[in-house]
Amino acid sequence: MAGNKGRGRAAYTFNIEAVGFSRGEKLPDVVLKPPPLFPDTDYKPVPLRTGEGEDYMLALKQELRETMKRMPYFMETPEEKQDIERYSKRYMKVYKEEWIPDWRRLPREMMPTKKCKKAGPKSKKAKVTGQGTSLTNPADVLKKIEELEKRGDGEKSDEENEEKEGSKEKSKEGDDDEEDDAAEQEEYDEEEQEEENDYINSYFEDGDDFGADSDDNMDEATY
Amino acid sequence: MEQPRGKTGWTEVTEPGPGRPGFGASDRRPRAAALRLLSTMTQAEIKLCSLLLQEHFGEIVEKIGVHLIRTGSQPLRVIAHDTGTSLDQVKKALCVLIQHNLVIYQVHKRGVVEYEAQCSRVLRMLRYPRYIYTAKTLYSDTGELIVEELLLNGKMTMSAVVKKVADRLTETMEDGKTMDYAEVSNTFVRLADTHFVQRCPFVPATENSDPGPPPPAPTLVINEKDMYLVPKLSLIGKGKRRRSSDEDATGEPKAKRPKHTADNKEPIPDDGIYWQANLDRFHQHFRDQGIVSAVANRMDQTSSEIVRTMLRMSEITTPSNAPFTQPLSSNEIFRSLPVGYNISKQVLDQYLTLLADDPLEFVGKSGDSGGGMYVINLHKALGSLATATLESVVQERFGSRCARIFRLVLQKKHLEQKQVEDFAMIPAKEAKDMLYKMLSENFISLQEIPKTPDHAPSRTFYLYTVNILSAARMLLHRCYKSIANLIERRQFETKENKRLLEKSQRVEAIIASMQATGAEEAQLQEIEEMITAPERQQLETLKRNVNKSINRM
Repeated sequence: MAGNKGRGRAAYTFNIEAVGFSRGEKLPDVVLKPPPLFPDTDYKPVPLRTGEGEDYMLALKQELRETMKRMPYFMETPEEKQDIERYSKRYMKVYKEEWIPDWRRLPREMMPTKKCKKAGPKSKKAKVTGQGTSLTNPADVLKKIEELEKRGDGEKSDEENEEKEGSKEKSKEGDDDEEDDAAEQEEYDEEEQEEENDYINSYFEDGDDFGADSDDNMDEATY
Repeated sequence: MEQPRGKTGWTEVTEPGPGRPGFGASDRRPRAAALRLLSTMTQAEIKLCSLLLQEHFGEIVEKIGVHLIRTGSQPLRVIAHDTGTSLDQVKKALCVLIQHNLVIYQVHKRGVVEYEAQCSRVLRMLRYPRYIYTAKTLYSDTGELIVEELLLNGKMTMSAVVKKVADRLTETMEDGKTMDYAEVSNTFVRLADTHFVQRCPFVPATENSDPGPPPPAPTLVINEKDMYLVPKLSLIGKGKRRRSSDEDATGEPKAKRPKHTADNKEPIPDDGIYWQANLDRFHQHFRDQGIVSAVANRMDQTSSEIVRTMLRMSEITTPSNAPFTQPLSSNEIFRSLPVGYNISKQVLDQYLTLLADDPLEFVGKSGDSGGGMYVINLHKALGSLATATLESVVQERFGSRCARIFRLVLQKKHLEQKQVEDFAMIPAKEAKDMLYKMLSENFISLQEIPKTPDHAPSRTFYLYTVNILSAARMLLHRCYKSIANLIERRQFETKENKRLLEKSQRVEAIIASMQATGAEEAQLQEIEEMITAPERQQLETLKRNVNKSINRM
């Protein structure tokens, strides 16, 4: 819509009477800020409805909120570890019943995957490590050597030593690891094995190789 | 990308056409999902759903639920990826949501199962206390507990419900008395007969001749006549009291609680037949209550009783969304009046004529056979109730003169500015001010009627009108927003005063245990004084505020 702004007097494009201002009247000021967040109201709200029914429903509501928290459907978020473990925490835990849904009514993908289902070499290694706690260590180590031969030559020596130490740790800890999920167990193993050594993996494990290698190199440069 | 639009303007979720990419293409999904969402949830409603889910099921379920509400139908892996939750937890959360009828699943092409959240169903969680209280008024404590158990657990078999309710009722009874399963069963059957509980869709028993791998998800079916069919069970037994060793004070470990597995060994007679609360039936009941009380307010007690009788007679025969009930003859109504009411046939006929002539048109006459055939105009009645609510809101918010203008515009449908001033007999400036106030809050809207094809403002009529449907929807949205604000406020207040609340709880527990072991008055007094007077004051204020916020919801 082409308007003649700036030429002559400003003329409204619409009938100003319709909006309610007579010609020549002072228009209200332009508001330069947003309206207040909690404006004062002229009319206060009506009082709340009270009565027997409302009181009962109020009590019900509060009760329901409490009950819901204790039901097995309420999924607790795993809490972060506190710095000091409080003795009273053990006694304040609410024991919840386990709820098992009716799997016939749900899609098959809803069922939790069975533990130790993966048949990869990694999980086999983890399983063997777990089961190894019940076997004696030498047999354990032999088995692991066999496994590792499948995996590859590069890391063999390192892993061998790591696992030996790892299994020793585990035999002390007992059978707890066996019950973990295969993937978790494997990660746990690796982390534990990594943490347990103070040495970074990229360094040589044995002192033997170091000397031999360096000797080889030194042979070349004898001045 | 074109999705066909349904009649009501809601987009239909259709099977993907041949041109659509597979479900792995995550870049194209958002647009499709956005199309589907066009008329579902506003931000305030999503916020409210989030708060409700969080309070009832915890944060993990809340995250999954809100994600589904926002993005529409999605398969399992996409949910896990988008929310950053582990697959295991997503599965658990979905199981919980499906159990409570908040999420449904559908099998799409290529065996992909998609999950969709039922947004409006989540909002119904606000009404749980009202449903339970209604069951209490109609079927007393037994009915109340049955509905409560069904709402808390989503779906249950009849035998499980009966057992649980019998146990709970036995707890509250005097020593030595127990609640019989038969009585609970009877109440359950009555609830099923009046359609307050209904059967969930079930897995059809397929013959094993179906070749190939089993489907990724079962298709659940239910047909009308099976929905309220109670299985023939012979539930014999009585409710059990929990052993007193289990009733420890809250601080002690419940180490002696018997293991849950012991009960599961028995075969369940009605395995696979699950029941749920029929929320639509409750809504129908609320609607009926609203209509009856409106008639009572407008006319008198007797007419409201007549209307109540008519509604009761059409409870089961009329579907809940019908515009009017089945025609009922005056003779039938006379026979069905409650026993205590002894009005003569002529008086009944006079009342019916009065009701039918009333300008509100709650009752209409549809014929003359059988002494006069009368229907209740449900949609008209609900419309009138909505309009009355709107009028009352305008009156309470803006004052009675505004209300006068509002009623005027409602009555005359379309009015110009000048006409409003004339008809309402309110000075021009004030009328303008009030109209604009209501316009800014969307109670009133403007209708443009151009005189010329170029829609020039100086040559256009601007008419004020009230669009009842959109105003009502706006009011509903505002209510949801207020509820969300109230819940947040309550949470804030509770958190601020957490220390004080815990202290008072501990003191109460101590007092209770001391009373149980027979302590002296002086000792009790001492313990009560552990909470100082200002703290007590603070507690009182807190309780009042929390109750107020809950009450307003």
